[in-house]
Amino acid sequence: MPQTAAITRMTGAGAPPRLSSFANWADRHFKWLLVAPAVLLILALSIYPLLFSLVVSFINYDFQVPGHAFVGLKNFERVVFDPVARWSLLLTALLSGISVAIEFVLGLAVALAMVRSFPGRGVVMSILIVPLFISPVIVGQAWTLLLQRPFGPTNYILGALLGQEVTIGWLTESPWLYISLVVADVWQWTPFMFVILLAGLTSIPPNLYEAAELDGVNAWQAFWAITVPHLAPMMLLALTFRLLDAIRMFDTIFIMTGGGPGTSTYTASYYLYTVGFTQFHLSQATAGSWLFLIFTALVVTLLVRRLLKVETA
Amino acid sequence: MAAVRSARRPRRGGAPVARFVLLGFFLIFVLWPLYWMFNTSVKPSDDYLATPPVWFPTEPTLLHYEVALFTYRGLEGLINSLIISLSATALSALLGTTMAYSLARYNTGGQHLSFWVLSQRFLPPIGIVLPVFLIYRQVGLYDTHVGLIVAYTVFTLPVSVWMMFAYFRGMPRSMEEAALVDGCTRWEAFWRVAVPLAAPGIVAAAVFAFIACWTEFFFALLLTSRTAFTLPTVFRAFIGFQGAQYGEAAALAIVSLVPSIALGVLAQRHLVRGLTLGAVRG
Amino acid sequence: MANVRISGLHKRYGAFHAVRGIDLDIPDGEFTVLVGPSGCGKSTLLRTIAGLEEISEGTIEIGGEVVNDLRPRDRDVAMVFQDYALYPHMSVARNIGFGLKARKMPQPEIDRRVDTAARMLGITQLLGRLPRQLSGGQRQRVAIGRAIVRNPRIFLFDEPLSNLDAQLRDEMRGEIKRLHQGISTTMIYVTHDQIEAMTLADRIVLMRDGLIEQQGAPLDLFERPATTFVAGFLGSPKMSFLPGRLESRAGSEGIAFGDQFLPLPNGRMAPRTSGDGSVLLGLRPEHLSRAPAGAPPPGCVRYDALVDLVQPTGSRSYATFRLAGEPVIAELQAHDVSRPGETLPIDVNMNRASVFDAATGKAI
Repeated sequence: MPQTAAITRMTGAGAPPRLSSFANWADRHFKWLLVAPAVLLILALSIYPLLFSLVVSFINYDFQVPGHAFVGLKNFERVVFDPVARWSLLLTALLSGISVAIEFVLGLAVALAMVRSFPGRGVVMSILIVPLFISPVIVGQAWTLLLQRPFGPTNYILGALLGQEVTIGWLTESPWLYISLVVADVWQWTPFMFVILLAGLTSIPPNLYEAAELDGVNAWQAFWAITVPHLAPMMLLALTFRLLDAIRMFDTIFIMTGGGPGTSTYTASYYLYTVGFTQFHLSQATAGSWLFLIFTALVVTLLVRRLLKVETA
Repeated sequence: MAAVRSARRPRRGGAPVARFVLLGFFLIFVLWPLYWMFNTSVKPSDDYLATPPVWFPTEPTLLHYEVALFTYRGLEGLINSLIISLSATALSALLGTTMAYSLARYNTGGQHLSFWVLSQRFLPPIGIVLPVFLIYRQVGLYDTHVGLIVAYTVFTLPVSVWMMFAYFRGMPRSMEEAALVDGCTRWEAFWRVAVPLAAPGIVAAAVFAFIACWTEFFFALLLTSRTAFTLPTVFRAFIGFQGAQYGEAAALAIVSLVPSIALGVLAQRHLVRGLTLGAVRG
Repeated sequence: MANVRISGLHKRYGAFHAVRGIDLDIPDGEFTVLVGPSGCGKSTLLRTIAGLEEISEGTIEIGGEVVNDLRPRDRDVAMVFQDYALYPHMSVARNIGFGLKARKMPQPEIDRRVDTAARMLGITQLLGRLPRQLSGGQRQRVAIGRAIVRNPRIFLFDEPLSNLDAQLRDEMRGEIKRLHQGISTTMIYVTHDQIEAMTLADRIVLMRDGLIEQQGAPLDLFERPATTFVAGFLGSPKMSFLPGRLESRAGSEGIAFGDQFLPLPNGRMAPRTSGDGSVLLGLRPEHLSRAPAGAPPPGCVRYDALVDLVQPTGSRSYATFRLAGEPVIAELQAHDVSRPGETLPIDVNMNRASVFDAATGKAI
């Protein structure tokens, strides 16, 4: 038994020292002071530039030409009526849609394969997530090394497997170059789907499956009756996040195809980049980026708002 | 018999054989480009066009690393990347933590402020970088370390804020309240109690901010040129040489991916929170 | 050392009205227990006294000073939390001394006080440890130690025992009572456990839906509950309520349940109801007993009860039977009853029974 002394009252320690008037003011406005630096920084480097670009998109901004004349909607018209712009938006939608769909199916399959423990699972897990920590530039570089003729070994391997010579221009011929871009994206981002879906799978209580087994439900039925409904919020979240990132696709294209041949691999971001930074039509580029911004904002409000509802429900 | 029975059992995973075949193929798919890149980085240039391809370099060389780092200014890019990523990470973690604390504990600005920060994460970079480019040229921040540090801080803030927001939300309030009753100001309760307790979360958020900065290409491409260029932008030099510089490109890639992969695998435990901005607890 | 005076206190969270007008006077040195079901506003009330919640309306005075706009740090109160809220990154000694450090007290003085407090609580050997290395009961002692080193004007306890197992809870309850006897500082203690409330309190404040339902000495509330809610909340097993009508039969006032009639003893005033005479007769298990041989004692009504269910606890047995169609629990000597199906003569002590207006739930 520990030794206890009789309980007696000590002298009161009283209240702590009074605050200086500055400390008093700071304590009163504490919550706003904490958010202020971050908010100011975002205002300065995100909101102000956006407003500035809105101004630029209505004038004729040119490094060479002094004086910026107001040109109304001309810059927007140029983008809207540019067939390359429309192509790039379509390609963005197609590439991101197809990539994300493949990543989703593959990620779900791998997550299902990983959900139960087996020897070496930890090591496999560490390897599978590696692509997430690599710069997309390097991913593009890695696939270029594999695919580019005549250096890359891909055609040789395919030839050996098929028993006939293969001479595909993976980065120069349609449709192979689209396939190459999708493969590089799938390589990098399937782990994203996999990690999130695996987290969702492991949070499903195992006793649901045990109960289903007692009820004589087979694996396929259990997948649709238990796994899919429980995983649905996670699926929505993974798809939303991934899709919003996929529509920015730029880095791998920059490295692997340079947008070419011609303009055949221009995505929205790549198109705006060339308009702004290689042709220096800055006003046209900002106008286009505003249109793209609105397009993204629509996707965000549609998907993310719904997502927040699922999350908070 | 037992195998047949177990194959029909409802459960979360697939049938064992199918699982391992799938995992095997996927592992090869993930590792193959990395191996080939490594292979390329150490094999002599003479082997590039050999048929069949040289699968294992018989005479490995570090020549490509030397050329990439010194001739192609890879070392400079590496140092710039370190300076810029570390500074931006520190700033982002600091500002993100303070803001997240205010949002989590005082519900500052209601849902609007937190959603506004989150929405920054989904802005297409092209929409921001064009005007930032114009502004930076005017104010002299173009191609400076400070310019890119500030841009990266803003670019990683949504992730830092939301990861820390979720972390603080998951932490009991009572210890900070005990500190307030014990005689602390709100700042002291934050700094002396909440921050030490949130340290693991702050480290995780910082790791993800660092990886994001380290691997970023788009801002660096457009906001820097000859002075503050980062490692990923060095790869521009290897485009269009039709094979001659593959070794250098591969060598630089290997150098560049080591730190981010090492950090990422170490912070694996927090990966789900990092990828979903704290929306999902891993 | 201070009294607390709360007047007209309201607390709203958006549309939710957590505290709906509380007036409460707590004299200096009293042990007051705020008790009630979860969501009744008792914790909110405690937190407003600590300053952790801003109040929407009303005033709080501590020691005669209005503290509405005072920060928690400036109120000179101490609080013990349900989860103890020890700082996990600090040793026990630093945990206890933290409030003194915030007061810029010199370190030797802090050490002396921490040591004294640790000896009082018997935790001297734990001073160098971290909170995670302590058991639940030890953490609780540290949390109390953090309060007593400061000797604050008021001690606040927010359900401090609910995370402990039953045995430790009994032990710590005794410790807290001993603490109050030793230092006799004003203490305000929140719990949902009626046994803690009964055993610790000088005064119980029983809350419901953001209002005070009844306050007073524990035995007053137990024996003379003002409402059916208070009667049902205090006591275990619960009081049984039998719906009946006030009637006058054969010259005596009583309560009729169909053809059964329980006369009220002459000493009790003939009660009046607000409505049509519908009442609830409240019987605690100890209001019923096995009838001794001979005539029923004064104020008791005897009847033969058919036992439904027997729950022995060792020293006592709880027997359930029906009276006027309603289940009633009686606390009997363990050997008075053996099995269901028995018929026992039971005395109902109408002197101690409570009568409530069925329409309002208020005692009459």
